[in-house]
Amino acid sequence: MASHLKDAAKKFLLLGQCVPTIKQNAAKIRVKRLELDENLLMYFRKDEFYYCYDPNKICKTGDVVLIQSLPHKMTKLITHEVKEVVYPLGDVTDPITGKKVAKERYRDDIEKEAELYGKLESSFDYNKAKPRGWQDGKKDFTSKPTYTKFNVFDKEDPYAL
Amino acid sequence: MLRGLTTVCFQTRGVKQLVNVKWVKPEYVPAYKPQKSGDLENLPNISQSSIPEDYALSEHLKDAPETVKQLFSVAHLGKKEYNALVKKELMDRVRKHKYDDDTPETKIAKLTGHIRCLQDTMEQFPRNIKTKVCVQELIDKRKKLLKFLRQYDYKKFEWLLEKLNIEYKAHPEDPHKLTRKESLRKLTEMHCDEIRNNKLADYRNLLESQQGPFLENKLKALKFIRNEQIELKLSITVTEQDISKVEKQLDDWKIRNEQKQELKKKKKKLI
Repeated sequence: MASHLKDAAKKFLLLGQCVPTIKQNAAKIRVKRLELDENLLMYFRKDEFYYCYDPNKICKTGDVVLIQSLPHKMTKLITHEVKEVVYPLGDVTDPITGKKVAKERYRDDIEKEAELYGKLESSFDYNKAKPRGWQDGKKDFTSKPTYTKFNVFDKEDPYAL
Repeated sequence: MLRGLTTVCFQTRGVKQLVNVKWVKPEYVPAYKPQKSGDLENLPNISQSSIPEDYALSEHLKDAPETVKQLFSVAHLGKKEYNALVKKELMDRVRKHKYDDDTPETKIAKLTGHIRCLQDTMEQFPRNIKTKVCVQELIDKRKKLLKFLRQYDYKKFEWLLEKLNIEYKAHPEDPHKLTRKESLRKLTEMHCDEIRNNKLADYRNLLESQQGPFLENKLKALKFIRNEQIELKLSITVTEQDISKVEKQLDDWKIRNEQKQELKKKKKKLI
């Protein structure tokens, strides 16, 4: 019975985090679960990975997303699809006040503090800031997994460390 | 002499290579080097005659003779003062307000300045172990701060990378020491993939080259059937639409074929 319920729940909706992948039209989503060790009677973390169909690339690395299983398997690997992005990484909105947050403080408060001290032109302006992704592949190499460099090729891969 | 000979004789140990892949082992690059730490810029342009921050505001120094100015310049006061100026320069690029020195962006800028100064030192004295350890620790610390900043403020993170000219690459999923076996395995896998893809591409080309003649035949046959049916006053099964569809397919194929031929010619010329 319990296993049936578990399977049914899995088919409905899952909440997971997007991790870097080299797949082009799919996102790799990590779903955190807890597994009971019956000998120790303790729960341990167990990750499950799903490849989700995402042709429009609505989710980027690190985003928390909702995924749903497809009626039919698209390929051997792709079994789910991305429904919506719940929390984009590094762009959190406080659900109660609706204000933007950076760490434990409101962005407005940080701005206000800077203005009281005398804001300089060199400071970062949230209003002028470009949306996420303009440095992707230029200076920010987080969209694909990095690996240990194993050979010298003619064309160097920036993701090889 | 003998020992050297024996090592030469026994070098065929390990996996027997059945596939012709050549492994070029990446050269060791120390972690303090800019290409590893992700610094895309050298030290900022600060002239040796510039005056440190403490004396810069002094009224007396402004109308002092040249010799006195020289005595108070960075060139005379030493590397420490120069490094302080480098840090200040980098911090000024991202400073929020005049007294800002503990926000994440200024902290990272300060560390970057320190790292670039130490990298410069390491270039001059590569056997200085204390500096080597210090710069490594600072690089790790900066990476950690960048990681945190990325998690809670992505826009600022990207802006900071641009301002300070740093590259950010995440740690590999399973950091490990490189082995010959693993490298050869990966290379072999790539080699096999290449063979498979080439074969598939060849087969695809063959099938596509047969498409044109087939469509021409099909068009002829369809037209013949339609004419016969009209002549013999039978029920017409081949419509005009079917014929126009095949004609369109044939035209498309001709355009694609021409493009392919041009590409082939260009490749031949290059060779």
